[in-house]
Amino acid sequence: MSRRASGLRAWLWQRLSAIYMVLYLVVAGGALLLWPPVSFDDWRASVATPLASVTTALFFGSLLMHAWVGARDVLIDYVRPFAPRLLLFVLLGLMLIGSGLWILKILYFLQMDG
Amino acid sequence: MDMRFSIYRYNPETDAEPCMQDYQLSGITSGMMLLDALKRLKAQDETLAFRSSCGEGVCGSDGMNINGRNGLACITPLATLKQPVALRPLPGMPVIRDLIVDLDNFWRQYREVQPWLVREDPIPEVELRQSPQDRDRLDGLYECILCACCSASCPSYWWNPERFLGPAALLQASRFIEDSRDQATEARLDRLDDAYKVFRCHTIMNCADVCPKGLNPSQAIGNIRQRMLKQFV
Repeated sequence: MSRRASGLRAWLWQRLSAIYMVLYLVVAGGALLLWPPVSFDDWRASVATPLASVTTALFFGSLLMHAWVGARDVLIDYVRPFAPRLLLFVLLGLMLIGSGLWILKILYFLQMDG
Repeated sequence: MDMRFSIYRYNPETDAEPCMQDYQLSGITSGMMLLDALKRLKAQDETLAFRSSCGEGVCGSDGMNINGRNGLACITPLATLKQPVALRPLPGMPVIRDLIVDLDNFWRQYREVQPWLVREDPIPEVELRQSPQDRDRLDGLYECILCACCSASCPSYWWNPERFLGPAALLQASRFIEDSRDQATEARLDRLDDAYKVFRCHTIMNCADVCPKGLNPSQAIGNIRQRMLKQFV
C-alpha cells in the first residue's frame, strides 16, 4: 500500500522522530548523570565513540525531520498564497539542510580530533 | 422574567456591515429554550432571520454561536445563559443573512467522503446482515445530525475550509470506514491520505467540546489515522 509523503508518512515520521528523541534524551541524559565526565577531554572522548556519534547524528536527524514536518504544518495552515509559501518552504529547507551539515561537520571533527 | 439579547444582524443587500442589535423579551418562563425566545423575538421583529425546523435537536437546523459557543438553539435552556445573550452566526462561514450561514462548502465536504455504502458484490435480495459487535462499531458515529457546530468551531476548518474536510465530514468518513458492510474501505482510506483532508486536524478538540449530541469527531479522526497506519504497515 503506497502512502503519500505529505499525508500519513509525514505524520508517522513526526511521531517516530519524537519517540526517538525522547529515548535519546532519557538515555543520554541518564548516562551523563550516572557517569559525569571528569574533564573536557573525558567528555570529548565519550561523545566521539562510534555509538555516541551515530546515535547523536540520528538524534539531530530526527530533530530536523520533526522540525520540517511541524514547520511545514504551520506554513500549510497559515500561508495560503503560493509565492510566499514556496519562498518560506525553500528558506526553511535551506536552514534545516544547513543545520544538518553543520551538525555533521561538528560530529566529524569530534571523531577526527578525538 | 425579562431577558436581554444581543443579536448579530446583517443583510448583505442593504447593510454596509454587520452590527449587534439589542432586544428585550419579557414573560420568560422556566424550561423555555433559546429557540422559543427567538421565535417570540421574530414575532416582535419579523426581519430577524434564523433557521429552525424540528425544535428538538434532531434536524440540526438551528446551529448558531451562543455566548461564544456553538450549539443548537432548540436544546439550549434559557436558564443556562448569561445575559445579554450574544447570538452570532456559526463562525467561519459566509453569512447569508443574520444568523443564517451558507453551508454549501460544508455539504460539499460531506459529499466528498461518499457517505453511502459501497458494495462490489451484487446487492442481495435480503438485508445485509451485521453481527452485534460490528454494529457496535458504528455507535458514536451514526448519531451525527450534521448541524455543523463542530466544523464551525474548528480552527483548522476556518483556515482551510476548501481542502480540510472538517470534523463533521470526517466523522461520517469514519462511520463508513468502520461499517462491516462497506466494501470500499481501502479506497476510502487512500482518498483521505494527503496533507489536507485529514492531516490538517491538530487535535484541538473544539469539535468534541461543542457537539450537541455528545459525539467525538476528534476520536473518529484518530481512528481513521490508525486504520491508515494499519493498512500501511
